[in-house]
Amino acid sequence: MNLNNIDLTNCDREPIHIPGRIQSHGFVLAVDSASFNITYASENCINFVPLEAKALLGTSIGQFEQMAGLSEKNGALLQLIHLGNAKKNYEAINPYPVKINGADYYLIISVSTDSCMLEFEPVTLEYDIQNQVGKSISEILKGKTLRSMLHNTAEEIKEIINYDRVMIYRFLEDGHGEVIAEVKNEDLEPFFGLHYPASDIPRQARELYKLNYTRIIADVNADSSPILTYEQGKPLDLTHSALRAVSPIHIQYLKNMGVESSFSISLMAQGELWGLVACHNYSPKFIDYRAREGVKLIGKIVSSALAYKEDEELEQQSNTNELAINRIGLHLTKDEDLLFALTGQEYTIKDIIGATGAAVLFDSEISTVGETPDEAQIRELVDWLMITMEDAVYYTHRLPEVFHPAKEYKKNASGIISAMISKEMNEIIIWFRPEKITSVNWAGNPEKPVVTAENGLLNLSPRNSFKIFSQLVENTALKWTRSEVSNVMKLRDKIINAITKKAGEIRILNERLRRAYEELDTFSYTISHDLRTPLTSIKSYTELVIASNKSLDEQGKLLLGRVVAGADKMNFLINEILKLARVGRADMEFVSLDMDRIVRESAAEVISSMNAGHVLLTFGELPSIKGAELLVSQVFTNLIGNAVKYSVGSAHPLVHIEGVREGDEIIYKVEDNGIGIDISHHDKVFELFKRMENVKDIQGTGVGLAIVKRIVEKHNARVWFESELKVGTIFYVAFRK
Amino acid sequence: MQVSPDIFYIEDDKDFAFIMQYAVKEVSDDLTVSIVEDGNSAIAMLHRYAEEKHRPKLILLDLNLPGISGLDVLKRIKEIPYFKYVPVILFSTSDDLNDVKTSLEIGANAFLTKPNGYHNLIICVQSLYDFWFNQNRNIA
Repeated sequence: MNLNNIDLTNCDREPIHIPGRIQSHGFVLAVDSASFNITYASENCINFVPLEAKALLGTSIGQFEQMAGLSEKNGALLQLIHLGNAKKNYEAINPYPVKINGADYYLIISVSTDSCMLEFEPVTLEYDIQNQVGKSISEILKGKTLRSMLHNTAEEIKEIINYDRVMIYRFLEDGHGEVIAEVKNEDLEPFFGLHYPASDIPRQARELYKLNYTRIIADVNADSSPILTYEQGKPLDLTHSALRAVSPIHIQYLKNMGVESSFSISLMAQGELWGLVACHNYSPKFIDYRAREGVKLIGKIVSSALAYKEDEELEQQSNTNELAINRIGLHLTKDEDLLFALTGQEYTIKDIIGATGAAVLFDSEISTVGETPDEAQIRELVDWLMITMEDAVYYTHRLPEVFHPAKEYKKNASGIISAMISKEMNEIIIWFRPEKITSVNWAGNPEKPVVTAENGLLNLSPRNSFKIFSQLVENTALKWTRSEVSNVMKLRDKIINAITKKAGEIRILNERLRRAYEELDTFSYTISHDLRTPLTSIKSYTELVIASNKSLDEQGKLLLGRVVAGADKMNFLINEILKLARVGRADMEFVSLDMDRIVRESAAEVISSMNAGHVLLTFGELPSIKGAELLVSQVFTNLIGNAVKYSVGSAHPLVHIEGVREGDEIIYKVEDNGIGIDISHHDKVFELFKRMENVKDIQGTGVGLAIVKRIVEKHNARVWFESELKVGTIFYVAFRK
Repeated sequence: MQVSPDIFYIEDDKDFAFIMQYAVKEVSDDLTVSIVEDGNSAIAMLHRYAEEKHRPKLILLDLNLPGISGLDVLKRIKEIPYFKYVPVILFSTSDDLNDVKTSLEIGANAFLTKPNGYHNLIICVQSLYDFWFNQNRNIA
């Protein structure tokens, strides 16, 4: 195979368990499980024993013992192999100390398909490491949180193996990793918080980490040693080998980072590779087998604590979420403003799931918490969701891929989860999660040139793999978990319950209000009706007295005349109230109205009844509207009546009426050049019985505009005015088309 | 032996009835008016008139009456053949369009809103008199 063809796109397929080479700080032999003859030997044997590897091939293990100058009794190795075979496991034997030519070595035996593999590596540790490991473990377990525990782990491991940098590297859901704890020499730049793409540690490498809990690369610059064999096409399986040579890709990767020696400990949780304790040294460094075993034990203990700690923290998180849902639910059941209950309290909707921001659209108002796109962007997104959403809840962790405008704000919202409150009312809640890439920090100089390796593997550096990684995670956020989706559904239910409850209450209130209005109309109708009768009596008797009592003197007649005038005034007022009450009782059958006729007739009626022939009436276009004729003509009689009444004193009284189509409305205006309305009374103009200061001397009751307003409201129309004192007034009525 | 009045007036408001008597006399000294206060006595009285072949020239009927309503009284009057051609005029404080419409449908000859005040009443009775007693005399 041509190693030069390996790059990041195909290193997933590189058969790293059969590299055919080993690292040269030790040597390896493999004996056939049946014949116990040596079938494989690393070429570098000669550096440790006075024997050529080639010469060893085919000889028996016994012969090797003799020739290699091992201090052991003859047959000891074979015995060991038999022992391990019987127990189906070499754990109890490993490491087996041997002396070769006075130097100390560990023999590590393992099974490799139908061979038995014997690895020899130097002993470098002079003291017993057990105590230190025990002490470290108790230090590590002091960590209350997962993070502090992992930090302690890095610290203790650095203490034991004395590498320049020890990191805890955590695999995330898609296989990419993040440095979540780090202890390092001060002069090194931190890698803490960095993310690495999944390809940096390819799948088959991760599989090996699951089988071998520690892995050392003692010196990236040392030449590896080939394994010699006569077995054609059957490379020695080095899966369980501690000396296994390193993939040239990985070597290059480490070299590009300046790392000369690397060591890792697998962290497992629930049978899966949870992460690694990744150790870098910037000079070659070998770790004694016993020290490796010590930290492996630490790794195992940390692993067993991991699952527990993580569960505990997840539970804590879900407790917090649960608490947030309940608190919000509580506020919802109280008679509180919905937006405030969702976004204004100690716990907001953002806290019910792991979101960085959230937005609520309610009553056509947008409220946000945390990091969100801007309002215009949210509205655009809502429009899209209104069309797209088929279920009550929608979620994606790749929004910009399905909704392209979201690319603009992918930093805040690559992941969204939305809950429809009401499609009809355009009410929705959206939670946001940032693009993963934005939470990746990359220390160091991004312009740093890529190190070119002699073998052409120039693309291999963390910097470059990061770039590839960036493309992979672009537009992507962390996936929403099932419990997050279920939390959103739970909250939605609570909101809908609250709204339904509130809507019911409002319906009841509305009904009461409607009845009160009806009663009020009936009441004012009856009261004015019943008041009329005695009023008529008062007037009639008084007139009768004046007419028939011959003894009445002038003074008496005058006084009784005032009684009649008072009764007349009261009668007039009662009639006005009756008119107002009648608007409320009137049947509202809307038909298309001939406004040209109605307006002109109303105007003529006003002019004649007010004897105001000198007022110049002009009409613009009078387009048809929909309404109840009697009521609409009342509106114009009142408005034109006012216009005439308050301009009749002008030098050249002018009243102009016209209607203009504008959007979905037809806006009528009645314009005069009369005395005008004081701006400070603008809000009182339409109130019942309110008359302005400057019209005291002009007859009126203050009912007319109240009637206009009621009629206009009944037509779902709007009425307003513009005015300037002594210049004139324009009243506008905007009818719906 | 009773003599039928020129105007038979059904009115529960004593004041209005009182003033009406003055107004009628003011219009013409010869004019007679008979007043009953509720629908039942009005109908009883009218049946007696019918038996005795007395026919008032004009019936004035208040709309709001205690007991049976003005409109019901109107129906009952119209059921008496003897009064087929006697004009019945609804006389009411209300000028509610529905009342006007219904009463005309049932067969009222006119609907008058009660005038306000003695002077207006005289004018009203005067015009009634002119129209129904002089110009339209021969209608019966």
